[in-house]
Amino acid sequence: MRRRSFLKMSLGGAIGAVALRPNSAAAWQSRAPADSYAALVDLTRCIGCRKCEQACQQEHDLPLPMKSFEDLTVLDNQRRPDAARFTVINRYHSGRVNPEGQLVADYVKVQCMHCQDPACASACITGALSKTAHGAVHYDVNKCIGCRYCMVACPFEIPAYEYHDPLTPRVMKCTFCEQRLREKQLPPACATICPTEAITFGKRSALLKLARRRLKEHPGRYIQQIYGENEVGGTSWLYLSAVPFSKLGFIPLPNKPLPKLTETLQHSLFSYLWSPALLFTLLSGLFFFNRRKQLQQPENSAGHAGGDV
Amino acid sequence: MRKTSQAFQRCVFVALLLAVALLDPQPEPVRAAGAGAPTDWLAPGQQQALERARQTVPLIEAIRREGPLRRREHLHDLGLTVKAVKTTYFYLNSPLISAVEDHYTGVRFNHGQHAAQAGDCSVCHHLRPEQDVAYSPHPETVRCSACHQQAFDERVPERPGLKAAYHQRCIGCHKQQRSGPQVCTDCHLKQVPDHAKLVKLPEHPDALQVTAECLRCHEAQAHDMLQTAHWLWRGPSPYTQDRSREVLHGKGTTALNNY
Repeated sequence: MRRRSFLKMSLGGAIGAVALRPNSAAAWQSRAPADSYAALVDLTRCIGCRKCEQACQQEHDLPLPMKSFEDLTVLDNQRRPDAARFTVINRYHSGRVNPEGQLVADYVKVQCMHCQDPACASACITGALSKTAHGAVHYDVNKCIGCRYCMVACPFEIPAYEYHDPLTPRVMKCTFCEQRLREKQLPPACATICPTEAITFGKRSALLKLARRRLKEHPGRYIQQIYGENEVGGTSWLYLSAVPFSKLGFIPLPNKPLPKLTETLQHSLFSYLWSPALLFTLLSGLFFFNRRKQLQQPENSAGHAGGDV
Repeated sequence: MRKTSQAFQRCVFVALLLAVALLDPQPEPVRAAGAGAPTDWLAPGQQQALERARQTVPLIEAIRREGPLRRREHLHDLGLTVKAVKTTYFYLNSPLISAVEDHYTGVRFNHGQHAAQAGDCSVCHHLRPEQDVAYSPHPETVRCSACHQQAFDERVPERPGLKAAYHQRCIGCHKQQRSGPQVCTDCHLKQVPDHAKLVKLPEHPDALQVTAECLRCHEAQAHDMLQTAHWLWRGPSPYTQDRSREVLHGKGTTALNNY
């Protein structure tokens, strides 16, 4: 085979393979459940009492913290959910003042957002994390191998790991009280204990409608945004706020579901193993081409040598 | 002479006192140890308030929409001012709340005082039912729980439940006014679980058994107690002169600890 014809052939093969591969790039489908539950957090109603943290600790039988839940000095520091607490309240001073000119605190509840298209579930190689029809991102400890890809994948940096437990460590995060709803027909513990109903629980579609209604009826009270409506393709926890979310520790995120890019890449490159097959075809072609060349060369060099002598 | 007469007078006085004490046929009833206030006494109006707090009424779904200013004028025109307040005292508690979460006792709410201070019924009675209701003489000022009942009710999603309606209204005003109760326990006491059911002890327990039983649940508190001066016998005594920084002498340091 001539070098030119080989290159032509392999190029043709590559184009053919790309043309023939299943058109999965356009076929990426959101797997968001149609009629799932959600929670709407109205930050203008939150009084920072930390009752939600307490209810969460009791519901999930988590270890008691060093400082009592009634000790509000813990709000002096910014905290993150970890293996021992699924939700925390953080206090922010955004510069908002009351009529007397004093700073008004804003409290923000942080927990797993239960994304509609969760990046953690997409990254999980064993399917231990999955989005349920109920709306929760469910963690199955029996499938988990402890690779912690979910912790890297989560845009909100939520999943935590029981590093202190060397034998049976688990990934720890908010469960959305899935079991509580199923067995007791009760909303999440944080939602029922909240004294001011800063957390409203219901169907996601109904809550979005409710949130838009609040934005419309009290335009001066809120900024006109529902955080979680579109962020990373939508989340099950939605937020309303009086001040821009960027001032309250919310990170700006793209509206595209994060698994869209990674899954498209993976499914287009690896469907029917076409890309490895093509790679190895090319490599073996190259190998045979070079081998042939090598086999031909000694004759030529021998001829030359003979000529010289 | 004078001294002896004084001493005699004193003796007679003491003897009289003794005689009175010994002859008194009905001594003051001694309150049983551990009992608080007498149980059979209730403040005036408390019985009615408790009964009212236990009542539930059907949910009113249809609400007449009225702007705050119009509503205020409307109530004023109807003569619904402080003078119209009939019940001055309510006990704010409801099975609607305690069925789901029951961490605090109810709230003693002085309706009359709040009406007088607000001077405007529409602050709390902000909307009215579309139709009149049979149980209330004043449909304009129906009770909170007529409209606010269960949280997250799908029939009326925009309405806060009763617990949230109370808290939003109370906390909102008290924050604004900067007076009156500011924290949870200013309004209601914590619902302490009945320890008669929790404590499990043999018939005649000894002291160590009792301590062990307390520690079963209150281990953290025991740990805290071990850090205090009550256990260590040392530490700053901020209210004692010359001892405000540290106690250098005493059971914790130089003296023999005899407990």
